[in-house]
Amino acid sequence: MATAAQRRIKSVSYAKYGYIFILPFFIVYFLFMVYPLFETFRMSLYGNGADKDSIKLGISIQHYMGFQNFRDILFKDGRNTADFFASIKNTLIIWGGNFLPQISLSLLLAVWFTDLNVKMPGKGFFKVVMYMPNIITATSVAGLFYTLLGADTSSVWYTIFHGPKSNFDQNLLLGLTSVWPARLIVMFIQIWMWFGNTMIMLMSGIQGINESLFEAAEIDGANAHQTFWRITFPLLKTIMVYTLLTSMIGGLQMFDIPYMLNGGTIIPSIKTVACFIYEKATGTKAAKAYGWAGAASVIMFFITAILGALVFYVQRDKDAIEKKRKRKEAMKEAKRRARGGGFSI
Amino acid sequence: MNKLKKSLALIATLAIASSAFVACGDDSSSSTAGNSSSTAESSTAESSATEESSTGEESSTAEVERPENKVKNDDDKLVVWCWTDDDLKNMFKVFADETDYTADNLVFEKIGGGGEEARDQYATYFDAGKSCDLFVLEADWIKDYIDDDDYTAPLSDLGFADADFNNGYDYVKKVGTNSDGVIKGSSWQATPGGYVYRTDIAEEVFGAKTPAEFQEYVKDWDTFTASAAKVKEQKNMAMVDTLGGLWQVWSYNRSSAWVDGDNKLVIDDYCKKYAELAKEYYDKGYVTKAVQWKTWDKAVQDGETMGIFQCTWCFGKNGTLSGLEGNTKTADDATEWTVDGPFGKNWAFTQGPSGWAWGGSWLALAKNANSGKIAHDFVEFFTMNADTMQKYAEYSGDFLNSPKAMKAIVDAGTNKNAYIGGQDQFAIFYDAAANIKMDNITKYDSTLKKYFNDNVSKYVEGNFADVDAMLEGFKTDVYGNVAAIQK
Repeated sequence: MATAAQRRIKSVSYAKYGYIFILPFFIVYFLFMVYPLFETFRMSLYGNGADKDSIKLGISIQHYMGFQNFRDILFKDGRNTADFFASIKNTLIIWGGNFLPQISLSLLLAVWFTDLNVKMPGKGFFKVVMYMPNIITATSVAGLFYTLLGADTSSVWYTIFHGPKSNFDQNLLLGLTSVWPARLIVMFIQIWMWFGNTMIMLMSGIQGINESLFEAAEIDGANAHQTFWRITFPLLKTIMVYTLLTSMIGGLQMFDIPYMLNGGTIIPSIKTVACFIYEKATGTKAAKAYGWAGAASVIMFFITAILGALVFYVQRDKDAIEKKRKRKEAMKEAKRRARGGGFSI
Repeated sequence: MNKLKKSLALIATLAIASSAFVACGDDSSSSTAGNSSSTAESSTAESSATEESSTGEESSTAEVERPENKVKNDDDKLVVWCWTDDDLKNMFKVFADETDYTADNLVFEKIGGGGEEARDQYATYFDAGKSCDLFVLEADWIKDYIDDDDYTAPLSDLGFADADFNNGYDYVKKVGTNSDGVIKGSSWQATPGGYVYRTDIAEEVFGAKTPAEFQEYVKDWDTFTASAAKVKEQKNMAMVDTLGGLWQVWSYNRSSAWVDGDNKLVIDDYCKKYAELAKEYYDKGYVTKAVQWKTWDKAVQDGETMGIFQCTWCFGKNGTLSGLEGNTKTADDATEWTVDGPFGKNWAFTQGPSGWAWGGSWLALAKNANSGKIAHDFVEFFTMNADTMQKYAEYSGDFLNSPKAMKAIVDAGTNKNAYIGGQDQFAIFYDAAANIKMDNITKYDSTLKKYFNDNVSKYVEGNFADVDAMLEGFKTDVYGNVAAIQK
């Protein structure tokens, strides 16, 4: 039982109010992050469709179906197997095709922009211009490219091939909707939109490196190539890991551009996993396949988690781990010795 | 005491914070449920008054015992949802001209960019707590909504008896009836189709001067194919504009529905036969490579095709044909429309190789409708009253769901459609409409049609080895997207 004095002391402690002030964040976080996450897991175990037929058949979103959705998506002869794996393939191709050129370009520009020896007028202007595409909403960008290259509205194809009314093959117009052109366009848009952002991030990383290192390298006669590979690149490792990780998570969830590019009709060759999930989860009551969408989301959750862990594993600081291990061993050794000093039967 | 105060404050904070998230929920149902009974009484009084005032009605229906108009009558603004106002703007005009209502009473709200989009989006809007009074449904997916009591109410709620729907075509009533036998949709249209063709080509290749003469060359599918070969050889033109259009004609004549009683997918020989025909037409150039609703108009304008399969709603004032170059769209309030380009003069209309019908739009009553009186009058005006329907048909050029009205127009011989050189398309449609049957529609039609056509397109382009591989691709699409269809 607390005394009156104790209670009084407790009540003047203002620390509690802090919790009230941060409460809104946790409420929002719980409602929009934690709850949907668990709800997705729950949905992945329930059926599909909310219409009368589905309910009558006992496969609707109200019915517990166990791992049926995962069977439908992952295993041979499942209802969605081909579709899902095709979408994973699309996602990886588009992400790979956009990440590698994007990081190379950003790195190159970042090095140039931070190099003291490069005297370029209007650096600030270029930085802003390159960052600009990132500010435009993805929908507008997709709309822009749809107008430029889309199958039936293409101003580019029209200018190149049509001009004065000529008899050209209409199939040329379908450029955007065929397999590789569509993928390349999405990759290009993603690079164009994100290289400025990545560049700014890498620049801040480079600027964080001690300048005297570069000076020393210069005095020692290192050329630009050597400076980059021996100093900039190794010291950028942490920021590179961060870029790789965020880009990977973003890439696996890529949705807006592929979805909007053809005016809302998803082209099969750029149907990413996120598009797959969206396609399954929307539509009329009969088409509300929350189960499949949930199962695909859960699978993506684990893929992302595994890949994330892998990135951290590959990029771990080996020296530090080795040191820690050695220290531990030394401690054990010391303990063993100390024990060895006493009796042992 | 302090603790109590604090926990009260905390609860209050939580309550305020959480109210931010529930504000968008549907509160109208609970708050209005209480007074609905009182408004129902007042609205019935008004609706009985309108029954007396609408003296133009047929005497036979006047004897019918009708239920009360149970729909709330909170305001006199009729809100109609549709994906396009092509029809509605004409309907609103005629309705405002012929009744005491004005344009201010009629509100069109656009939902979705096309029929398919509207199908998906209506539900989203309803689920979000929004509502209209009437909304428009297409035959392809009407069952999605009329079978669902969360979205639609029976039309008897507006004060109609079953007998009121008997003035129109049987099939229209049947399509508007849900699986429990309740009438939930009523249409102003009947939608038989035919074949629109170039008269100059018909004369040059076949020597046919009138539609009746030309009909001999397209009277069945074998003759049609033979004629297609001739046209291709002599004029290097296709016979059909798009594969999508061809399937519309074929799908109507299919004898089985897409799913059977156990919700199992039905793929019969008819589908195979069509796929093979499509391949033959595509390879030999009897059909253009244009895409339905996308590049078809260009194919027609560039003279790539000799004809198009078109149905009633294509001929209307804002119908499909009005979109073609030269088929000038006149001002909205004009009573006649003109065709200046070469397309109007050189086209004529005939029945073609088989009878068929395509789509049509039904008016359904939203569950939370709140303008009972005007909704009743609107539905009656366009789907039951032969006199007013005749007026609308004359104004819009649409073929209406009233044999009586259409017979009157055909007999008068006043209808001259500008797109087809002044020919009366109603005469052909009137004969065709009596035979329409739409027994095979299911709620999956629009979805399955899309998958089927997509796969047929892939097949004719050579992406599948044979028809069986194509059908496998079709099955994969269906099973992978429609969970309710059993394997």
